[in-house]
Order: sequence, then C-alpha cells, then structure tokens
Amino acid sequence: MTVRGSIAWQLKAAGILFGGALRGTAQYRANLFLTMAAGALFQTTGFLALWVMLARFGDIAGWTITDVALLYGIRLTAHGVWAVPFNQLMDVEHFVREGTFDRFLVRPVNPLVQLMTSRVRLNTLGDLVAGLVMLGVAMSHVDVDWTFGKLAFLLAALLGGAMVEGGIQLGLSAIAFRTLGSAQVRFTVDSVFNLYGNYPGSVFGRAGQWALTILPVAFVAYLPTAVLLGRTGELGVPRILAYLSPLVGAAVFAIAYAFWRRQIRHYQGAGS
Amino acid sequence: MPLIETAALVKEFKRVRRKEGAFAGVRTLFSRDFETTRAVDDISFAVEPGELVGYLGPNGAGKSTTIKMLTGILTPTSGHLDVAGVTPWRQRERNARNIGVVFGQRSQLWWDLPLIDSFRMIGRLYEVPKDRYRANLDRFVDILGMGSFMDTPVRQLSLGQRMRGDLAAAMLYEPKILYLDEPTVGLDVIAKERIREFVAELNRDTGTTVLLTTHDMDDVERLCRRLILIDHGKVLYDGPVAPLKEHYAPHRELVVQLAAETDVVDIDGAETVKAEGGRVWLSFDPRETPAARLIAAVSAKYEITDLSITEPDLEGVIRRMYLERESR
Repeated sequence: MTVRGSIAWQLKAAGILFGGALRGTAQYRANLFLTMAAGALFQTTGFLALWVMLARFGDIAGWTITDVALLYGIRLTAHGVWAVPFNQLMDVEHFVREGTFDRFLVRPVNPLVQLMTSRVRLNTLGDLVAGLVMLGVAMSHVDVDWTFGKLAFLLAALLGGAMVEGGIQLGLSAIAFRTLGSAQVRFTVDSVFNLYGNYPGSVFGRAGQWALTILPVAFVAYLPTAVLLGRTGELGVPRILAYLSPLVGAAVFAIAYAFWRRQIRHYQGAGS
Repeated sequence: MPLIETAALVKEFKRVRRKEGAFAGVRTLFSRDFETTRAVDDISFAVEPGELVGYLGPNGAGKSTTIKMLTGILTPTSGHLDVAGVTPWRQRERNARNIGVVFGQRSQLWWDLPLIDSFRMIGRLYEVPKDRYRANLDRFVDILGMGSFMDTPVRQLSLGQRMRGDLAAAMLYEPKILYLDEPTVGLDVIAKERIREFVAELNRDTGTTVLLTTHDMDDVERLCRRLILIDHGKVLYDGPVAPLKEHYAPHRELVVQLAAETDVVDIDGAETVKAEGGRVWLSFDPRETPAARLIAAVSAKYEITDLSITEPDLEGVIRRMYLERESR
C-alpha cells in the first residue's frame, strides 16, 4: 500500500483512472489515431511556412534555417510535454458548468489528477511527435557541440518550457471556478505562444523582447535556444535570465498550482 | 463524540448582477456588483455514530448545499464543520475515504464501462483488501439484485439499476458515513423498496451512519428515527419523528362502517369529517378522547360492522408545519 496523498499514490491512482478512460474509449481507437495525425500535420505545416520564408530571405535576424528549426523544435516539444498530460484542462469549464466536477472532489485522489485522466485524447500526442522529430533533425544540423552539459540544459529547458506554458494554462483554467468561462482567454494566450514563441525574440526589437520575457513566452524556447547556440550576446535582456529559464518554468508552475488550489474553493456546483 | 458536527454553518452564493443596455456584456464582465444569496444560514447540528437521519425541507431550502459542504465539494462561507475528525473542504482526500456519496440526479460511475469495471476501479482507488472487496461485492449483488446487469455499460442501465450500482459503489470501501441525496427520485416501487432495505440493513448491521435527503415521505417513515427539517437555510426542527407528529397533527381518524346509513354521528369529543353510504370518518384527539372510549361510545349508539384508525402521514405533518410557519 502506498502512502495516502503522496505523489506515488497520485501516480498509482492516475494509472487506475487512465486505464479506465482508455477502456472506455477503446471503441473509438481509429478516431484517436486520426486526430493525432491531424495534430502532427498541423504543426508541421507551421514550420513549412517558416521554412519557405527563410529559403527566400536566407536568415531571420542572423538565425539560419537550422537555428530556427532548433528553436521551433524546442518550442513544439515543450508544448507537447505539457499538452499531452494536461490536454483535459480544456474540459474544465464543461465539468464546472455541468456540476460534474463534484465527483473529483469526493474521491481520494487529487482533483487535477482526476481531471487529467478523465478522458483519452491523443491529438496533442501529434504535437509532441512532430516536435521531437523536428528537434532531432535540427540537433544534428546545427553548429553546436552537444556536450553532456548542453544536453542536460536542453532537457531542463524542455521541462521548464513545458511548465511555463502549462502553468499559464493551468492558472487561466482555474478562473473557470469563478466565472465559468475561461476558454476564450486560454485560446488567445495559446495563440500568443504559437505566434511569437516560434521566432527568435530579436526580430521583435528590444521592447518586444522584454514584453515576451515578462509574458513569459521567451522562456519557453527563445532564451534557452540562445544559450545552446551561444547567442546570448545578442539578447535584449540580461544574459542571466536566459540561463535561469528552466527555473522560471518551475516557479510559474508552482504559483499557478497554488492559485488553482485556491480557486477550487470558489466552485459552486450546479443545481440547489 | 459526534461523527458529524456543524456549528453556525453558512454558505453564500455570489452572482454578478447582469447589466442592461449598451455594452451590457462587457459591463457585466467588469462589474463588482454582486447579488448574494444565503443558501445555508446558520445551521448547527450533530450526528452520533450509527444514526440514520432524515434531512428534509422544500426545494431550495439548502439541503443539497449542506450535503455538498459535508462531502467537501463546497467550501463554507463561515462556520465550523467536522466530519469524522476531518475538515472536509481542507482535507478532501482524507474525507473521501470516510464517506460514501450517492446523488440521485448524477451518477458517480464510469459511463462507458461495464458496471463491474466501475466496482473494480472503486476497489482499487480506495485500496479495499481483496477478501473484503469480494465479500462486500457478493453481498451487495445479492441484496440489491444486480446479478443480471453487472456486465452492462452504465450508460445502458435503467435508472433503478444505475441507482443500485451507485449505492453499491458508495459502500464497497465500507465508509463510516453514507450521504444519500434523493436516492429514490424517479424510481418505481420495487426499486425504491430494494434501496430502502439495503440502507436499513447497512445501518443496522454495520452501524453505518446515514444522512438522507428526500422528498419521499415513505423513505423517511421506513428509515429515519430522527429528522432535521430546514427551510430558508435554517433548522426548523431537529428531533425524533413521533413528537413532531403529535405536535403538528395530534388528530387521528376513526373510520366506522355502520349497519344503517347515517349522516352525522353525534358523539362527544369527535367530529364528523365525512359520511358516505354508511361509512363515517370521525376526527379525534387521543389525548382528550382515548380511542377505546370513543369506539365504546359509538358502538353504544350505533351498530358497527367494521372500523379502522388512521394516523396522519408525515407528509401532511410537514405540509402543516410549513404552512403554519408561512402564515406567521
């Protein structure tokens, strides 16, 4: 028996719940793989558009096609790392509005773990696969000596980036407990990450870089990629921030989780 | 020591007041203008281990809101709350292991899975030892008559089958407390009876403490020894069923079948309510006119071929109580 309430217990419970969700959706298996393929295709077309642009102009603010591919791969992989397990955050409004969040609050498992494992949706797995492929290809082409230190930094940066984006989405989802609708805000923020996260921050000028650092889109991929490529000299923000980017993710996520836990107190259920 | 304890419990719901006129939507979004309703207003009660309590009141009285606070779903606005030594909204996961919850309106089972799968998952989530799980499941399948639909996906179950499944799922891990929120709503007589039997047996044999909200007075008459009546978020009555009946409906009815057709039966201490083809309904207060004396008096004057005495039902009692309160 595992210690109740511990992380080991939450993982074990997640396994039980996810197993149930998987058995419940087994009949739609073909559909699952289709949505996954569509996700991967969608993300690849994004990069293709960028590649066409680069092929025409040679480079973006001194970043070659392979440099940008590394940045894009890091962004997409980080996105996939948070989006695969946290995909179900999308449904939080639905659960709150219908009052079905009730059941998550009367079971001996963390409500967030229960939400995450409530359904199987593989479309974001496509994002992760596309991201990993792009990252792998870019890594073999960029002019970087992949020492152990750099690989460790890359891994930390991917987790940090995932936590930056995941933390922000988690925090925004928590608004649903009060206002019942947070989808529009989350969609907008997701667009900002998609739109500005895939380019070297230097193309946006000094003010733009500061804005993206505060937002903090820049910590997902631009700042860590600059460290890996040895381009921290061109940054419009202090170099130390770039090296700290993995820690920023952990901080953002911790704050977001605390906020989420507080907001659950405002859950009103449905009916009388 | 009480198992469930609430003191001065309050729950307020805040709703933003909608704006009207130009840019109504945007102005509502940024509005600080709240409308506050007090669903539960200063409720205090204590339930001892092994009690079976009916928690009753009209729609919107605050029954479900109270239950949702006791289960940890809602956080109280103020007041004290203690359930088996745990503050539910603060220690939800610990509280969850102590309680079973059945909401008549909403299933806790896994919609797309066969019923038996839901039971297996509950067994694992609550870490029920294998032998206990087996023994409990066998017993529940037997009492609730679930054998024929264990492999049916929950979404294909009838309401009565689903409720039985929910009840079994809530008790598989032997919680100390069972909360039942409208467990018999919409069920047929047979399903209702099965559920009542199950609850009565659990309470009697395993000492499970039960808090029941219902609109079905037969549930209450069959199961509850104690009632808590609430209205507008406040406790109106807390105590045994019998004195409530005595106070609000002291009268009994004596129905006599007479050999000859009579319109009015003239007896001291009784009032003719209705007379129809020799059958006469007499209302009397047993504290003033004992039933035996009344029967003797009637039979001295008339020839009785048949008789019966009816007690007021709880529904009438409660209706009377609320009416009296409204008129005050």
